[in-house]
Amino acid sequence: MTAKLVITGASKAFPGVQALDDVSLTLEAGSIHALLGENGAGKSTLIKIITGVHRPDSGTVLLDGEPMQFFGPHDALAHGISAVHQERNLIPRFSVAENIMLERLPTRAGLVDYGEVREAARRFMAPLGLEIDPDIPVRNLSVARMQLVEIAKALSLDARLLVLDEPTASITPHETETLFRLLRELRDKGVAILFVSHKLDEVFELCDSVTVLRDGRNACASRSLNGLDRSDVVRLMIGRDETAVRRTERTATGEPVLALRDVATDLGHRNIDLEVRAGEIVGLYGLVGAGRTELAKAVIGAAKVTSGEVQVGGRSARIDSVATALSRYRIGYVSEDRKHEGLILMHSVRRNVAVTVWRRIARALGWLPDRAERDAVTPYIERLQVRTPSLAQPVSLLSGGNQQKVSVAKWLAAQVRVLIVDEPTVGIDIQTKVYLHELIHELAASGTAILLISSDMPEMISLADRIVVMADFEVVGELDNTRDAADMSEAIMARIHKVAEVA
Amino acid sequence: MSATMHLLRTDWFGLLVAFAVGAVALGLAQPSFLSTYNLYVMLTAFSLSILIALSQMVIVAIGQLNLSVGAIGGLAAITFAGVMEVWSVPIPVAILIGLLVGVAGGTLNGVVTHVTGLNAFVVTLATLAIFKGTNIGITEAQPFYEIPDAVKSFGNARFGFFPYLLFVSGAIGIAVWVFMRRSVLGRQLLAVGGNLNAAKLSGIPVGRVVVAAHVLSGMLAAVAGMLAVARLQLGQPTIGDDWLIISFAAPVIGGAVLAGGHVSVAGTVLGVAIIMLINNALVLLNVDPYAVQLVLGALILAAVALSRFREPA
Repeated sequence: MTAKLVITGASKAFPGVQALDDVSLTLEAGSIHALLGENGAGKSTLIKIITGVHRPDSGTVLLDGEPMQFFGPHDALAHGISAVHQERNLIPRFSVAENIMLERLPTRAGLVDYGEVREAARRFMAPLGLEIDPDIPVRNLSVARMQLVEIAKALSLDARLLVLDEPTASITPHETETLFRLLRELRDKGVAILFVSHKLDEVFELCDSVTVLRDGRNACASRSLNGLDRSDVVRLMIGRDETAVRRTERTATGEPVLALRDVATDLGHRNIDLEVRAGEIVGLYGLVGAGRTELAKAVIGAAKVTSGEVQVGGRSARIDSVATALSRYRIGYVSEDRKHEGLILMHSVRRNVAVTVWRRIARALGWLPDRAERDAVTPYIERLQVRTPSLAQPVSLLSGGNQQKVSVAKWLAAQVRVLIVDEPTVGIDIQTKVYLHELIHELAASGTAILLISSDMPEMISLADRIVVMADFEVVGELDNTRDAADMSEAIMARIHKVAEVA
Repeated sequence: MSATMHLLRTDWFGLLVAFAVGAVALGLAQPSFLSTYNLYVMLTAFSLSILIALSQMVIVAIGQLNLSVGAIGGLAAITFAGVMEVWSVPIPVAILIGLLVGVAGGTLNGVVTHVTGLNAFVVTLATLAIFKGTNIGITEAQPFYEIPDAVKSFGNARFGFFPYLLFVSGAIGIAVWVFMRRSVLGRQLLAVGGNLNAAKLSGIPVGRVVVAAHVLSGMLAAVAGMLAVARLQLGQPTIGDDWLIISFAAPVIGGAVLAGGHVSVAGTVLGVAIIMLINNALVLLNVDPYAVQLVLGALILAAVALSRFREPA
């Protein structure tokens, strides 16, 4: 029997980057195949070749034994290949049902038959446990629900080859379970599934075989997962052993730099009390939708504080804009969404980092020589070991991990006193992740007050000194971090669920 | 990267080559192209169009559009001419008043856009009507004829085939180039255009930057309007009516990203030059004047199509 998809010796170059170099992959029908690698290893490029977005510069792609040449995603769809990409591909103002059925809206007498659209959409939502009104616009959904709509859409195409790029990044463990059950059913029906995830536990739970990419080459090609363990896979991904970092407990004794007293916001927060001392890392934990990012936005003046008091350095602060937060109070915010909020992708590394210090380094009349920017930026690019051919490189051409480093570097350059870091390592490769953890730790050690927002429990427990738990836009608990993973996660979940039960 | 590769990747190099090839070809085909008088006439139109194009370019930089460029220019023009004729205001003061009209128009555009959050397209469509209506209300569609001789002679003066007007717009062009490249505000304009959210969360005062861009746009349009008065030797109420297409065409041909975040002053100026060249060619080769619009339209489409290839997907 011929394999569903065989890629042999595929190479693809972009300006300044050899994204793929002689990569091979064999995907059998009726199997779930993991595609792993750090950010920038070439996974996205390989997926885009499979889905017809890119064409390889060299190498062959066989689909059901036939050489294929796609002239665009539509072509790939017509050949039974559908994909859930990392980026959202939904139309925000269209309803859930319309989004799912978009490619082939059922019609009656030439007009869209909305009754049938709803019916058909429900058929694909049900297996995912997606019990929502198919008529509501997608933009009113939570991120998790959007992800599920996207998956439902891919399933609805009745694909024989399904590509899932980080499908579980934003959904709950319960939803993940439902999804996995469904994927196994599809596999048993003979669908070939290519599964990309940073969560190795999921890979071992779900997948049969694995291809690992490193720096655009195969670290292994279509190997059975049998007989491999986690550390083997990590070694393949990063080329060496994973080093676990255990930090000791420490207590910050500095003055509170940022304090919220009984704060309410027009986003719906109530009675928020929070304190971050100089040199302290305070974790802000909660489930998606608990209001953590929104609280950060209120602190930096991007949303309105309606009552209570925000204190910076012991004195009452009125932060009415991000510009004030930065220039007067020296508070910085590393966004969780680096593409839409953190970086200006088409601009150079230099400009992206210098944006926070332009005012400070400018000469008279706002005169801003290149040299001033370069001098301000270089130390941080070096310190963070950003891999870029030059400071003039557009950020869009860097790998995800390096982009994240740039979005952190700009706040280091700003020399902020309080740094709010929102999900700093989501979708980031292991090496960069370890590096960023080290950096956050160093920053705190040098006196910066850090508020860390993360949904990654191990990250939280490894980094935070204290953990503040939020649920439903309120603070529901505060714990000293004992660095004991089991204890801490149990204690944290207990706080969250107590609220959930009452609600 | 080699120097040649670097040149090829700039916005302006390809345009410069295209312009040079076109100019040589036209000079060979139609020697009257190189006559001093023809060059002078062409450069006069070029001088005005540079400012018109830059006025639009600074708005494209922040990812918006300004439909009222011509209406602001026209209003500034008739105000400039009107205060000199009716109140015999001295020329420098009249220039200042003309500039203030540009500042006021730009401020209105910027503040309304920012405060209401409405699309600048809609806002400037409305202000276009307001400015044009004010213009017609003041002039009753009649030109101001009594323009001081100093203004008239400045409009006619030339150095060889270089009109004095070109020195004004050339200096302003260089100033805008420096501004976009090397000033904090210029960088902030591009940052806001490149990614509004990221700019906001980086502490850039977005509202002020948007208003500043519109004020700058208004001032550039006002200068263009006043130069048009000097060139036409009268305060014609229709000044600005035909600016819209060239204001978009030149920046786009010059490599501007319409979504914002990237513009090129050199590219825009060369865009104007190429449009002028094509215009002139069609005139010299006796092509139907109505075809000029057609060619310009096709050129814009071609430029937009080309820019799709240059941008990474």
